[in-house]
Amino acid sequence: MRITCPFCGERELGEFTYLGDAKPQRPVADAGEEAVYDYVYLRDNVAGVMSEHWYHSGGCRAWLKVTRNTLTHEISAVEPAAGAGAAKVGA
Amino acid sequence: MADFSWDVRSPLDRALVAGPYGAQGEAGVTLTEIRNFDLVQVMARRGKAGEMAKAAKTRFGVAAPDKPEAVGAADATLIWSGPDQFLVLSKGGKHTIEALGPIFAGSASLSDQSHARALISVSGEKARAMLAKLSSIDLHPDVFGVGAAAATSMDHTSVTLWRGADRGGQAAFNLLVFATFAESLWHTILDSAAEYGVTIGHSEEF
Amino acid sequence: MAADQANRLASGGLIDRSASLNFRFDGKSFSGFKGDTLASALVANGVKLVGRSFKYHRPRGILTAGSEEPNALVELRSGARREPNTKATTAELYDGLEAASQNRWPSLNFDVMAVNQLFAPIFVAGFYYKTFMWPAKFWEAIYEPAIRRAAGLGRAAQVSDPDHYDKAWAHCDVVIAGSGPAGLAAALAAGRSGARVILCEEDFVPGGRLLADGGTIDGLPASEWVARTLAELAAMPDVRIMTRTTLFGVYDGGTYGAIERVNDHLPMPPEHQVRQRLWRIVAKRCVVAAGAIERPIVFAGNDTPGVMMASAMRSYISRYAATPAKRIALFTNNEDGWRTAETAIAAGLQVAAVIDARPDVSPAHRSLASKGGFPVLHGSVVGVNGGKNGVRKISVSLTGGARAEVEADGLAVSGGWNPAVGLTSYHRGRPKWRDDIAAFVPDGAPPGMVAAGAANGAFGLGACLREGFEAGAAAARDAGRSGNVGSMPVADDEAFSLTPLWHVAGKGKAFVDQQHDVTASDVELAQREGFESVEHLKRYTTLGMATDQGKTSNVAGLAIMAAVSGKSIPETGTTIYRPPYVPVAIGAFAGHHRDENFHATRLTPSHHWAAEQGAVFVDTGLWKRAQWYPRPGEKDWLESVTREVNAVRSGVGFCDVSTLGKIDVHGPDAGAFLDRVYINAFSSLPVGKARYGLMLREDGIVYDDGTTSRLAEDHYFLTTTTAKAGLVMQHLEFCRQVLFPELDVQLTSVSDQWAQFSIAGPKTRDLLREIVDPAEDLSNEGFPFMGAREVALRGGLKARLFRISFSGEMAFEISVPARYGEAMARNLMIAGKPFGVTPYGTEALGVMRVEKGHVAGPELNGTTTAGDLGLGKMMSTKKDFIGRVMAGREALVAPDRQVVVGIKPVDKARRLRSGAHIIPKGETPGPDNDRGYVTSVCFSPVLDQWIGLGLVERGRERIGEIVHAHDPLRGEDYDVELCNPVFYDPDGGRQRG
Repeated sequence: MRITCPFCGERELGEFTYLGDAKPQRPVADAGEEAVYDYVYLRDNVAGVMSEHWYHSGGCRAWLKVTRNTLTHEISAVEPAAGAGAAKVGA
Repeated sequence: MADFSWDVRSPLDRALVAGPYGAQGEAGVTLTEIRNFDLVQVMARRGKAGEMAKAAKTRFGVAAPDKPEAVGAADATLIWSGPDQFLVLSKGGKHTIEALGPIFAGSASLSDQSHARALISVSGEKARAMLAKLSSIDLHPDVFGVGAAAATSMDHTSVTLWRGADRGGQAAFNLLVFATFAESLWHTILDSAAEYGVTIGHSEEF
Repeated sequence: MAADQANRLASGGLIDRSASLNFRFDGKSFSGFKGDTLASALVANGVKLVGRSFKYHRPRGILTAGSEEPNALVELRSGARREPNTKATTAELYDGLEAASQNRWPSLNFDVMAVNQLFAPIFVAGFYYKTFMWPAKFWEAIYEPAIRRAAGLGRAAQVSDPDHYDKAWAHCDVVIAGSGPAGLAAALAAGRSGARVILCEEDFVPGGRLLADGGTIDGLPASEWVARTLAELAAMPDVRIMTRTTLFGVYDGGTYGAIERVNDHLPMPPEHQVRQRLWRIVAKRCVVAAGAIERPIVFAGNDTPGVMMASAMRSYISRYAATPAKRIALFTNNEDGWRTAETAIAAGLQVAAVIDARPDVSPAHRSLASKGGFPVLHGSVVGVNGGKNGVRKISVSLTGGARAEVEADGLAVSGGWNPAVGLTSYHRGRPKWRDDIAAFVPDGAPPGMVAAGAANGAFGLGACLREGFEAGAAAARDAGRSGNVGSMPVADDEAFSLTPLWHVAGKGKAFVDQQHDVTASDVELAQREGFESVEHLKRYTTLGMATDQGKTSNVAGLAIMAAVSGKSIPETGTTIYRPPYVPVAIGAFAGHHRDENFHATRLTPSHHWAAEQGAVFVDTGLWKRAQWYPRPGEKDWLESVTREVNAVRSGVGFCDVSTLGKIDVHGPDAGAFLDRVYINAFSSLPVGKARYGLMLREDGIVYDDGTTSRLAEDHYFLTTTTAKAGLVMQHLEFCRQVLFPELDVQLTSVSDQWAQFSIAGPKTRDLLREIVDPAEDLSNEGFPFMGAREVALRGGLKARLFRISFSGEMAFEISVPARYGEAMARNLMIAGKPFGVTPYGTEALGVMRVEKGHVAGPELNGTTTAGDLGLGKMMSTKKDFIGRVMAGREALVAPDRQVVVGIKPVDKARRLRSGAHIIPKGETPGPDNDRGYVTSVCFSPVLDQWIGLGLVERGRERIGEIVHAHDPLRGEDYDVELCNPVFYDPDGGRQRG
């Protein structure tokens, strides 16, 4: 498999580290135990297109959100995490 | 009470044996370790990428790289190392972290990497053939031209790779490798290059 | 004296008659020519019997002339380079080649195991399952060794492979598998377009079937066209032709696997060269021009030496000028098979008869038969009379029921052609059936791949060239190359007609899979016993599961299954295709990564100095760390380690701790960031101070620990454990980039920038005063416990000094830029000489941390909470941090959790062992009464006994309790006392003093 890093270009799978589902959002501090439990443990087992966190560990160290079809390994989109780079807000 | 002597030792000091290695005849690969350099990682602070670029332009007279490439300045090379960050490589004592601190104050965070890497230059007719055993990057001249850079891996080890100016009509590639991995990767490089014949040396010249 | 090549034609063939090569087969000397394979050289020397079969030890000869060969498998080379199951049909002949036949004992001609044929009924499909069921204990002791001796293929060399292998990457626009007419035409079109092309050819000469079958292309003899084409391609700098290279697999994202047999054609690789190279080819497009494989017809005695595929017989005669037989019979069901009769006659050989299963034969072939003086028999071969010395007589059942016999010493068989659908089917693709050629052809392919020519079911020469050329041009276009493709090579298409015929019923064994000795009746038996699905058929009979992966047998097998189960062939379907297309040595996958290069190694900055001191090193992850420094006269490691501990506790010692992960945390929000990743507060840490921090996972379990210092308002220096360094960096980047992008914080690994040493012992300050600039105040007031700041060293160097202690002694950690690491070790020895300074290793470090009750890897084991480690009070209640909510779950704060406690044997002479289970006194050892276990142990020089840490249920409440240590693994049972985990200096006076 090859992933196109938005910063580095197309690279082989070995440069990346998989984390998992990118959908769950970390609950705010006072969200309560149920919400955190969901965030930590409950995952969809998607057969098809899913959004995943990948880390370009062997490259630019950017965290990426990869849209991948788990059945075909087809990758339809790769975006950087919100905080990859200097977050150009106000730049 | 005598002062202590503080000898610097490159992480390749023991492993590097200058001279020919591998197959005899005209060497297909030339490996040169560059010693005595300063290397500073410059990372933009939040929302300050523009200011950082301006500061770099003022100091070095060239725009800092904002994509995977290495930009040559008069007395430094600025090498892209990730989004909104680059490395400043210069001859030892030229652009130290102490000297760069005030330049990037408020716009970027600096980390000294001068001792964290070994710098190896790879050239020769078989440089690409040898690097193809280590690197998954396409180094074809149409794809990886002079000044192209990559944050990538070799032998499962992170490296910064860029193509410098051609040397004797041949492409020259530069490799920054992590110091504690350097000896191990050096042996891997030698194994990969042995069939082409190697000339090994070290230098303080860039 | 080498035997003469009696079966070599006087002229012709693509062999170099000026280069005679000597070789040995089963100890006998022969000669061949450069350009031969081992198989062609054996044919030229009249050797028909080359091996014995897998189960029945039947005599076998050469069936094919390519990588699909099921029978002619040999052990090539000898000693450490012995390579079993090598196909004689692809092994390139070299001078001095040594090969031995397989599966025979004591000799190929007289094989005692051939008696297996008498027991044939027990070797039928599923015989393992049926025969060796009981008693179960007989399996390992009796059945398996016996089966392994009786059945099996070649013997592996039992010693390490002396050759080198490597791996490399290649990148191109178009990769092409196969250099027959379709592959060469594809390369021409793509190359002329300006594309970067890699053409992989498994043979050592490009050309594919053109090498044997010739033909006319662009008005030129095929050989001239091939030469002209290769010259044109050679002039294109971005076209690379790789012979001896098989494209064996396709992987996601346009990545292809290829194995290049760089030096397999030499007795041993030249110095500094590799034997084989594994290529990972990244290509935008792929053209599969891998051709087709001629398929056998299954009939009784079809495995007799001398029965050969018709196309293979042509290859031996035309390409190698070697004659497999003098008087040849041909059994065909299609037009193409007749070429063998033409080739035989042209070479001056006799054709005994052509047995054609079709009702009609073309007028041209009729006249060939009358000119050649041989009969055309309409019918099928039903039996072969012959044996290990070859074919003698062939029984034919004629259409209408009459019988005929043909005397011949060789039988060429053609059952039609199967496109090589492997590569196109590797992503779970299922080929589709085409009735007109009675064969499976690709039905789609992995993204970017297309099949052309015979691999796509186009068998005519003209069609192969056309499809190849068009596929090559399209692939280049898709890759963005638009150069002028020039004119397409042109040739006529041969007529093709075929009457499907898979199996001829007859008396005697009729083999479907010759390598695995699977017969037509095995397939029928499988169907009768309900193993009708092709996947069941495959596993039950082992059809297609040998090293040839059923290249000549799969389709015939499922055709027979279709016939007996009353289904059509497409209804019966194919099994899943999986790479590799040909066997690939594990050594090639490993490449450079073997022995000491199994993985990359990290060396500490003082590594070579430590080696000079005679340190014993231990592998810690990728690191080599000094474990202890033995001195002359010390009888074992324990004596050395005890000496090192005593030296530290009574004087001063130092240890390289550069393996700790080190991270620069920069930015205005660095403190706020650390507050969120650690359970305790760091924004409140004053500049110039260090603090111990603990990180949790989001599920509330402890992740890592370490000391973090504040060097400036906006700069923290964070350390991690050695083991987790990389993972913590990844975790912190996740927090920074994904969870908290609003924070202005920057992270850089500086693990390799700093050489860091722990200096410990009551004389630490004395030593430091020697090496640190006298202007620096190192007093307790000037540099208090947990202080951290930059200091000047004598000689001008700047260092960072941290007053932290892992040993419980007065201690500092000092760091200098890594290239000074070795000088630092030497200077510490000089500075500490008056105080008896002693370098110590990781063992002494570990002893002192256990004595001090500090937790480490065995306690931070992915199951423990901060509370379990006795660090619950560190958890801030004033802020949110990773893991906070989940750490408060009922089970994670339950009072009966297993918590860290000290453990010491009641009998002071007793050795304590990690892993021993803690059982309350008087209770029976077992899971129900298990209250915990010993995690870390050491011999404590201070207490003069073995001590340890453990995780014990309600451990803190049980301090003073005598419990039972139960160690079933080592057969040990003894009493231990649960105690305070801080064995040494519990009030911490020494480290603060």
